[in-house]
Amino acid sequence: MSGHLIDLYGLCEGLITFVNGLVGRIMTGVAGGIETIGIAPPGAGAPLRDQAALMNSPWVIGLIAWLTAIQIMILWGTAINLLLMMWMERKFYSRLQDRVGIKIGLTSMDFLARLPIIGGLFTNFVKRPSHLGTGFLQNVADGVKMVQKENLTPAKADAFTFHAAPVLIAASTLLIFAALPFSEGFTIMQSPNPFGVLFMLAAFGLAPIGILIAGWSSNNKYTLIGGMRSAAMLMSYEIPMILSIISVVVLMGSLDPFEIVRTQSEPISASIPALGFLANPAALDGIYFPNWNVFTAFPAFLVFAVAILAEQERIPFDLPEAEAELVEGWLTEYSGMRFGLVFGFKWLRGLAGSGLLVILFLGGWTGPHLTLPLGGFSLPLPFQELWFMVKVYLVFMVYVWISWSFPRIRIDQILNIGWKVLIPIALLAIFLSISLRAFGVYH
Amino acid sequence: MEWDLVAFIAFSALELVAAVLVVTSKRLVHSVFWLSVTLVTIGAIYILLRAEFIGLVQIVVYAGAVPILFLFGIMLTRRKIMEEPHEAE
Repeated sequence: MSGHLIDLYGLCEGLITFVNGLVGRIMTGVAGGIETIGIAPPGAGAPLRDQAALMNSPWVIGLIAWLTAIQIMILWGTAINLLLMMWMERKFYSRLQDRVGIKIGLTSMDFLARLPIIGGLFTNFVKRPSHLGTGFLQNVADGVKMVQKENLTPAKADAFTFHAAPVLIAASTLLIFAALPFSEGFTIMQSPNPFGVLFMLAAFGLAPIGILIAGWSSNNKYTLIGGMRSAAMLMSYEIPMILSIISVVVLMGSLDPFEIVRTQSEPISASIPALGFLANPAALDGIYFPNWNVFTAFPAFLVFAVAILAEQERIPFDLPEAEAELVEGWLTEYSGMRFGLVFGFKWLRGLAGSGLLVILFLGGWTGPHLTLPLGGFSLPLPFQELWFMVKVYLVFMVYVWISWSFPRIRIDQILNIGWKVLIPIALLAIFLSISLRAFGVYH
Repeated sequence: MEWDLVAFIAFSALELVAAVLVVTSKRLVHSVFWLSVTLVTIGAIYILLRAEFIGLVQIVVYAGAVPILFLFGIMLTRRKIMEEPHEAE
């Protein structure tokens, strides 16, 4: 059942083959042209022909296709998803607080009403132009403001590590997206990817180094305390996170995200024969009770969800940047786009964490879909990318909802929850999963 | 040309430079930073040698434990946050 719309690498390869073939053809044409016209001796076009042949060799096309695929993934993750998630969070918590939130959008731009022909459509917007948009351009405006600001380095700061820390944080966050598949096709690491989940965990685990270095190198007591709290919290929530993944791996028998999602897309009665009454052979094709891990490993799901919430440093766990105590926590001294980078990449870690949660527990990109025949091409609807993004955004919205509804908890409570509650529950979840497998309840 | 060899030499060079910097850095926190670079490049070399699992576990376990070293380095050595070596008592 292949229901993906975009095959990222295949798309890039086709594009690069087309462009390189075109340029190579032009170059060989020029080489032939200068020889026949006579402005160059015969054989003078050989370097151009060699260049064209090199450009169309498989490994050059493969290399450029990989680089293009990585670029598309980074742009998709940062430019589109980051802005979209920040916009959704701001609008959603504004609604929770009974206000409308940010409103600067395309329709609130003043010049639209002054355009010659279509301007009449926007006439009413001229009076209060900043109050009638969707708000999507507010984050773009914030980003432009941050780019324009001066990049300050505190006088007593350790300049090398101060500037290295945002790079470390950004790089380790983007590294998650190398292994995070958005569908069977829209992914950098292709289908048999036996250690994909482990790769994402390793990339998640690199962030505390950058955070601690950022906190220390600013040479400021607030940033140092923020960095210490962040390290203590991230370290103590990484352990239950990995333990809760173990129980999923025991049930699924694989660390491959594609394999995990494929196993979850099957009916639950295929894995647990005792639940055969849930199977409904007369039901619509493709609609059945799925074998999601959220049903079979619910304690692990709880632990993992809380650990991902802590990993994002969101409000119940935002002790590292408690505004009332520590100005802005470990990122106090950053200014300009460096602040934007370390601040914005928390949303990206939230996206990656929600994506990991959806892949491990909520069935990933699978869901009931129709297949529309469109000429020779069958269009799945809703396609896998849409299912995955809908699930990820819903999970992220639940996180936003939690973080704007609960007060911040203290450092001792955070560590108590991590070590005394989550780790025992995670160990219990491993015990349950192993029991399900050992007693033959779960195949 | 063998690209595996090129990547291996590049990672090894990075690792050796970082390993030398671990012992020659004046500041403890710089040493810890270069230690994390060393550990991650060792993981990369494992992955290059087709031992993906041990490479990733190397990064999870060793590079993940660097913040602990970092905390010890900060909490157990100096009184001030940052101090020039020549200013030390």
